[in-house]
Formats: sequence, structure tokens, C-alpha cells
Amino acid sequence: MNEKGSYSDVLVIGAGIAGIEASLLLSNSDRKVHLIEKTSYTGGTVIKFEEVFSNMECSTCMVAPRQQELLQDKNINLLTLAEVEDVKGSSGNFTVKVHKKARYVDMQNCIGCDACFEPCPVSLKNEFEEGLSERKAIYVPCAGALPNVPMIDTEHCIRFKGKDCKACQEACMFEAIDFNQKDEQIELKVGAIIAATGFDAFDSKKVPKYGYGKIDDVYTAFEFERLYASNGPTEGNITLKDGKAPKSAAIIHCVGRDQKGYCSSVCCMYSLKFNHYLKSKIPEIKISEFYTDLCIPGKSHQKFYEKMKETGVNLVRVKELEVEKQGNGMAVKYNNGNKKDSIQVDMVILASSIEPRDDTSKIAKVLGISLDEYGFLKEEHPDVSSVTTSKPGVFIAGCVQGPKNIQNSVSQANAAVGKVLSLSK
Amino acid sequence: MAKEFEPRIVGFLCNWCSYAGADLAGTSKLKVPSSLTPIRVMCSSRVDPVLVTTAFLRGADGVLVAGCHPGDCHYDDGNYYTRRRFAVLKKVVEGLGLESDRLRLSWVSASEGQRFAEVVNEFNEKIKKIGPNPLNVKTSL
Amino acid sequence: MERKIGVYVCECGPNIAEKVDIDKVLNAVSSLEGVAVAEKYKLLCSVDGKKFLEDEIKKHGLTHLVVSACSPKQHEQTFMEVCENAGINPYLFQLANIREQCAWITEDKDEATEKAIRLTKAAIRRVRYHSSLEKKEIECNPDVLVIGGGVAGIEASLQLASSDRKIYLVEKNSSLGGLITNFEKTFPNMKPTSDIIKQKIQDIAENENIKVFTDAEVEEVIGFFGNFEVKIKKKTEENNVVEFDVGAVVLATGSASFDPKKTPGYGYGKFDDVFTALEFEKMNSSGKISLKNGKAPKSVAIIHCVGREEKGYCSEICCMYSLKFACYLKDKIPGVKVSHFYSDLCIPGKSCQKFYEKTTEKNVDFIRATDVEVIKQGDKINIKYKAENNSKNSHPVDMVILSPAIEPTSDTSRLAEITSISQSDGGFFAEEHEKLGPVSTSTDGVYIVGCAQGPKNISETIVQSEAAAGKILSSLVPGRKIEPEVKTSQISESFCIGCKTCISVCPYGAITFDETKKISVVNEVICRGCGSCTAACPSGAATLKHFTFNQLYQEIVEAVQ
Repeated sequence: MNEKGSYSDVLVIGAGIAGIEASLLLSNSDRKVHLIEKTSYTGGTVIKFEEVFSNMECSTCMVAPRQQELLQDKNINLLTLAEVEDVKGSSGNFTVKVHKKARYVDMQNCIGCDACFEPCPVSLKNEFEEGLSERKAIYVPCAGALPNVPMIDTEHCIRFKGKDCKACQEACMFEAIDFNQKDEQIELKVGAIIAATGFDAFDSKKVPKYGYGKIDDVYTAFEFERLYASNGPTEGNITLKDGKAPKSAAIIHCVGRDQKGYCSSVCCMYSLKFNHYLKSKIPEIKISEFYTDLCIPGKSHQKFYEKMKETGVNLVRVKELEVEKQGNGMAVKYNNGNKKDSIQVDMVILASSIEPRDDTSKIAKVLGISLDEYGFLKEEHPDVSSVTTSKPGVFIAGCVQGPKNIQNSVSQANAAVGKVLSLSK
Repeated sequence: MAKEFEPRIVGFLCNWCSYAGADLAGTSKLKVPSSLTPIRVMCSSRVDPVLVTTAFLRGADGVLVAGCHPGDCHYDDGNYYTRRRFAVLKKVVEGLGLESDRLRLSWVSASEGQRFAEVVNEFNEKIKKIGPNPLNVKTSL
Repeated sequence: MERKIGVYVCECGPNIAEKVDIDKVLNAVSSLEGVAVAEKYKLLCSVDGKKFLEDEIKKHGLTHLVVSACSPKQHEQTFMEVCENAGINPYLFQLANIREQCAWITEDKDEATEKAIRLTKAAIRRVRYHSSLEKKEIECNPDVLVIGGGVAGIEASLQLASSDRKIYLVEKNSSLGGLITNFEKTFPNMKPTSDIIKQKIQDIAENENIKVFTDAEVEEVIGFFGNFEVKIKKKTEENNVVEFDVGAVVLATGSASFDPKKTPGYGYGKFDDVFTALEFEKMNSSGKISLKNGKAPKSVAIIHCVGREEKGYCSEICCMYSLKFACYLKDKIPGVKVSHFYSDLCIPGKSCQKFYEKTTEKNVDFIRATDVEVIKQGDKINIKYKAENNSKNSHPVDMVILSPAIEPTSDTSRLAEITSISQSDGGFFAEEHEKLGPVSTSTDGVYIVGCAQGPKNISETIVQSEAAAGKILSSLVPGRKIEPEVKTSQISESFCIGCKTCISVCPYGAITFDETKKISVVNEVICRGCGSCTAACPSGAATLKHFTFNQLYQEIVEAVQ
């Protein structure tokens, strides 16, 4: 506690890019940070991408040094598998209750050798890989995940379902697996809170005319990102369900836009990025992008668009569109207002809207702040600062506040830190 | 019977990308020839002609310089200088009387463990084909 | 002093112990020159392991430490701390990676052992040539120069000002507020602009920690992060140069508008009643929207994307403010017909689409068009265009409003030079990193915010100002010293031939030229240790600490055995 009777520690909820940047900047000013992350890993959504627009920079190379710094930073107390359950108090003096699930692996002893995976008898779909590959009940979500320590998924581990299995523990030479670990209730006293819990993708199944979930080889943007990822389920080889490389692809913009009622601002750019992905692996592939309005604001984005146009992508403005199975592939049937037409493709990729995560309303309730009409966390003065909320001492950053690109998420993270640091003036 | 030629390859790996990619190859338990000895530098742009020449003069059969992909350099544009310098380095190698293929430049990102393994495997095979370095001069420049 | 190197090989459980014959490694190195002790240990990075190392260092009076274990990216920091705690300079240490890049990449134990020996020997050779390096600390000035008194500069100043941090706010015009003072309302909530800006200007005036200079321009900024010397010139006064010192600079110079005279097809400057967006804003703010003849327009065309093709980027805000104009018109002239001529609707973000839908309900047409041309037929203005169905159409109107692209202000190049930063796409100031460093630049201590960095709306501008404030509040703390990079480059006075090659390759402007001695000098506070200068130097004058030729040479010697 400082002289004013307020706590200088800060709570950051969410260890995605916004949470990581906020934590590092706070630590830089000698503030102690409690970084609460729901999953077992840091990096959030950005580490699912191989490359980011507009310069196609390697996403993991960009984030990994930040994650490493985070893990080694003495000021940052990273609590993974943790969620904020309750917040009481006011700016300068919050009492936070955190529920931390047991990992069942000792983070000090584990050296990340992965020897415990092989003997595990349970196999299931890997959520991080969008179900495109499998994982064990004891697992890390992907190669290179940080912290590089596995967790036991008690929902599926047979030991936690009553069977006497010790396969992982027996394989571990470091006594790192501890079935006796317990969930913890942790109480923290902080002076300020930054919520940066990110977003979810609109469920493309809700728009059946695009065939997702019905027709093979219709992929969501996230699934496609994992297909292209060099640490992904196919090691970066873009293949259809039958293992062959697609000869043609259609990328469909604005999936879910009508349902959500806003433009998610990043989809046109990442759809163009997908064009680059496809062309770099399969140079002869024929690509069509179906869009309504091209939304590419910013000084560097149109340049990228021009570059992609030169690769021969067929950009088609449409008013209506649907995807049907046709032969071995699909027909994208569209109406551009003048005429109806159809293109045969092997692969369809859906660029879907950004929407609030399921737990955003819980977070709003716990923090005592409101949601806007779309379910995102609400900023206090939409015309002024987008990081302050109606509750003093509670700030928001990144896509939890609304759809935006990485640059704007990082700006908001830095801005939220600025607000926190000037609280004690 | 003559022992099979096991190359000695010096690998200059940049701290931020290629060294991390090499680490990832290890974490992923990929097979990478042990003939490559990694030497960490902060940026591939640190690798100057003197270092490369010295390596060859001391008997290195191959030299690999690896950095971040163009545009991703941690120090902004270091790898652009590496790229430009590489053309000169090739000439230097030839000037020593060696095959310029003994020098290789590769961009490997931190997430490209697989790629690093492929690059080193490929380079190792190539050096095996080219044969041992005839020079072995105990000198420094 | 006698060198005593301690060599410790970590078993890392089975990870190294089962893949490498550690005893063989210890045997191979224990009698090397300078090696005082060579031992193995189960897990060196554990609490016990670190204690073991510390005790060993003290017990044997070791001067240098070599650890053969995992990757330096994992535990270099850890063992450097062990050294510090045990009283050795943390840079007299080398970590040999015999795990990720040795034990884990082969199943052949002999191969792995031989490589582990090679790597450990290389580390021992190298560490002999390590020098102690000390952390530097420099005093810093926490004050900040903010260039530009628009909404961005005002916001940054208010966020930063405090009793122990003075802000110098320099504005080239005679009053604060910038561009937005011309707007009656702001999108998407159509609230009065004065709600945003009026109170803030008042707050600035009342803040005794903010010194405002209007009608003033920055002439010179010399120095580096924490220590800038600034010279400004007051335009309206003779010989009035003011000098002060600051620790950071925020460029918040806003934007200018593309000049539609460059696209004569829109009739600007040729026909009456063709206005730019700014001219229309001013007209609207005056309270009356009228044509040159004094009458209210019955029909208005708003043309989007003016200059977009010429500039090569989308300015992000024009579709939204064009909608705002439709609202202005509908509010003030109830029966007016408004038609928008656009190519792509750019309304990103959660707040925009609803505003678009509400506005278009008010009998506002959105016509997607190409080949838009403004011509005069008699005394009537006509918009000629090609519609979506490719038909050529014309649309008579009374008034035309052009929405031009945003571009950098005319003094952007001058200011970029003064502050040693670059310009990037569109001529806007270049941010350090497109994603992770949007408000910082390649020059430490110089920040860019708002439209000076690229086209954006008011809310995003304010976020960037707050972000720059966050950066500054975090790194430029009153009373706290700055710790720059330790492993910097240095240039030998005697070997430097003054060719300035190093200066041209340094991405950070860390090297300056001493005109008197005719040599290059590294500013070790700005240097980030990449080594580009070291490699580029033709005379070997430049060296990179901790990555000197000699040190790397030692590694090469072992690598080729």
C-alpha cells in the first residue's frame, strides 16, 4: 500500500496481446502485475496466426519475445487456468477473488520435455487446432506454447474419472506431475484493473447457406489459419479433407455481418492475407474473394491490397451468395445485382465477424461495468476515451471493447496503462 | 576403410528468429545433423566477411548464416544488410578457392522448427557431396 | 588475476543425461586451460541447483562460469543472476546449449556426446575472452515536449502533466484545439464537439504544469531519450527563441487535406458551390448552410474518396463524416435531398454501422459509382457517373461536397528530420512497429500520435495520446535513472578512418560523427547492440561488446574441430 492508502498492484485479466503489452508496460514502471489467464497458455488469439498483415510478419516471432519477457519478469505474477470470480472495493482499493484451477503439473519442476504425452491413453480433438488434430488428456495446446508446461484436462483424463491410471506420472523423470494439486482460491489486493479478454469468432453454422459444418472443405478463418501454421496440424501444408492440395479457393467476407450489425474491421485485410497464404504454398491456385464493401482503412493497407490484386485474385462484389456442394467440390452461387453466376471451387474459407466471448457478460458483472448493445464491454464516453469504463479504476483494452486490429488493441493496452499510472498522480 | 566424411558446419544464428527456430526444432525432437555447430549472434547483420573467411580458413566445410525473414528483423533492417552482404561473401569464398555453395544464407523464423531442420539436413547433404574443405590454416585475421 | 573457470553440466533429468555421456564431457574439459572445476548436477535451474552453483563459485573462488544445459533463451538470465548473487560479473558467464540444439536433435548418443564436448569447449574458450560489463545508469529529465495543440496534443498534455513533470505544448497556430474546433458535431453520436474539446482547452489553461506556446514552432531537438535540448521560435515576436530541456517528445501535429484542385474533374475551384469537407464544416458551424447565391440548397451531392487514388490509401473517416454531413443537412434543411457517391463503404467498428443505417433512413441515397465527374450545365451542377450496372448516369444537384483524403501536414518532413525519425507510407511519421509499437518510433523518447501517424478518428486519436502517455509515464519516471542496453557497440578512436559507413547502417541513429576528431562515436545510451556497424566497419574499429570478433572466433575454432 502506498502513502495514500491505495494499492499499487494492478490486475490484468487476459494474457492475449493486449494483456501482455499492458503487463510489460506496467512492470516497466515497477508496478507489480497479477496477470490472470483463463487458458493454460499466453498469447491469446494472435499466436494462432502464422503471419499478420500488412507486412506478413511472422506472428509467433513477433509475440514470442514478449511472452518470454513476460515469463521471466519478476514484477508479473502470471496465473494461468485462473478466472476472476469477485471484485469488491473501489479505485485504489480492490479486493479480487481469483479461482485458479489446478494444472496437476508442477511449473517449477517441469522442464517441458513432453515425455508425458505419449503414454497417455486418452485422445481427443485439440481445440487450439480448431479440431483439426488431436491431443491427449495431458497436453500443451501447440508446439512452442508458453509457458511450456502441460496441463491435465480433468474432463477427459480417465484418472479423474475414477480409473487408476498413472501413465503420465510414470513417464515423468522430474516428479513434475502431481495429482494431489488442488484448485486454489486466491485473494489479491490491487489498485486498478485492466480487462483484456479478447474475442470469439462468429459461429458460421448460424449462416447455413455457406455450408459450414455440412459441406466438406468449408473452413472458418481460424481453421484455415491453423492449416497454414508451420506449427499447426499439417505443418503448414494447405490440404483438403482428402489430403490433396486445392486447385481453387473462395474466400467469403462478411460472414455474420448481417446478424451482428457491424463491420468487424479486420476481415477484409485478413482475407487478403489468406490470398497471400494460398499463393505462397500453391502458386497455381485460382482464388476468388467475395465481398460487399472493401474495408481497408489505414496508410499501409491499400498497398497490400494492390499487391494482392497483382497475384491475380478474382475480386467479386456480391449482393447475395450461397455455397452448394457440386461434384467433388463446391459451387459458389452469387448475385452481383446485375447477373447471377457461379464459380466452382475446391475450398471455401469463411471470414467471420468478431463477437464478444461467452464470458464477457460474467466479466462485466464481476467488475461492475456494463455491456454495450452488442455484448462488448462498454466504454464510459464513446466519443472520448475508449479505455475508461463507468467504474473508476477499471479499464478495458483490445477486442473485449469492440472489434479492432492488433495495432489498435496494443494502443488501447498502452492507453489503459497510461490511465492506471496517472491514477496515482 | 576410410571413415565417411562428416562435415563441420558453422551456423551463425540470429538470437531473435533463427536461434529460436533451431531451439524449436529441438523441442519438437526433429532430427538435425550434429555437424552444425550453432554460434549465436544478436543479428545476422553481425556476420562480417572476416568471420566467414576465418571459419573457412580454419577448416569449416560449410557456413550457414540464418536470420529473420525480410521485414521481421528485430533491429529493423539488419537482415537487409545481411542479404546484400551475402553476395560479397560468396565472392570472398570463391576467392579462397572454395565452392561458393559452401556458404548458405537462410531465413528461419522462430516458429519454423521444421524448416530449420530441413535447411540443415539439405545443407549437410550438399556439403557431403562437395567434400571436405582443403584449407586448414591456423591463423586469425 | 588468475582465471578460474567453473564448468557445470546439467543432467536435466533424462533429457541430457540419457542422451549425452556427461562424464565423457567432463573428462574432455576438466584439464583445459583455466578450468578449475568440472562437475555435473541433476537440475541446475532448480532452487537447489542455483544454490549449488552459488556455493561452488564461492567455494572455489571462481572467476568465470560455464554451464552446459538448455538454451540461453531459457535460462541465460537465471544463471546470470546466480553469478551476480555469488559476486561474479554476470557477463563472465557462457551457457552452452547442449539440450535443444544437441541432445534433442539426435538419437545417436555418441554423436550427441561429441557435439556436447564441442559446444562446451567452445563456451570455455569464449568465456576466457569475456569482459566484465557494467549496467549503465543515466539521469533523465521527466518533462515532455508536445508538438501540436489539437485534440491529440491536448489529451497527451493533460494525461502527462503533474507536479513533477512539466509539459511544453507548442502550437503553430494562435489558438489550441486544432481541426476539430471547426466541427459542430462529431460522429457517430452526433454530440457537440465542444463537449469534447472546450473543457479540455480550459483545463490546459488552468494547469500550472503545462506551459503553452502558441504561434510557435519547434526549431531544434538535440539529444537522446531522457536528455533532449529543445529550441522553439515564436513566430510573432522578433528574435524570440525559447530553449528548454525535456526527456521525451510527442509529435501530435495532426493532418492536412488533399487539395481537390489536383483532381480537376470534381470542379473544385472552377464551379461555385463545390466545397471541401472542411469548408462545409465551417459553413455548418456558422449556423447557415447556403449556396453562393444565399439560398439553401435543395439537393446536395457528397463525393467520397476524393484523392484516394492519388494518395493510395483509404483515409478511414470520410465515409463516416460524410454521413455526419447528411445529418447536418437534414437537420438544418428538412426537405433537402442528399446523395452520396462512393466506391466502397468503410464503416469499421461497433459504432459505425448503426449510424449508417440510421442516417440512410432519412431519405439519403448511397450510390455506388465510378468515373465520377462534376460538370456544369448552364447554371446547374451535374454529377456524371457510371453506376453499378455500368450504365452512364447523371444527377443534377445544387451543391457538391468533396470528401478529400487525409494527408500529412506540410511540416512533417521538417519535423521528422529535427527529431531523427522517418516517414513511412503516405508520408506520415513512421511508427517503430506496425503492430507492437504504434506510438513509438525508432528514436527512443520520440512518440507519434493521432493523424500524424496515419488517418484515424477522434476516439482512436485519443487512445494513441493516452498510449504515448502510458509509455512515457512508465519509462520516464522522475528520479528514476534510465538503464540502457549493456551489450553495445564501441568505436576505437585510433582505428576509425572516418568513412561514416557505420552511421549509414545504424537503424537507430546511435552513431554520430565528431567533426573535430573526424571519427564516428557511438552513443551507448541509444545503441541497441545489433552489430550492423561492427560488420560494416572496413577498418575493424567498431566492436560489439560481448560479441567481439575474438569471442566469436573462439567458438569457430571449436566448431571446426
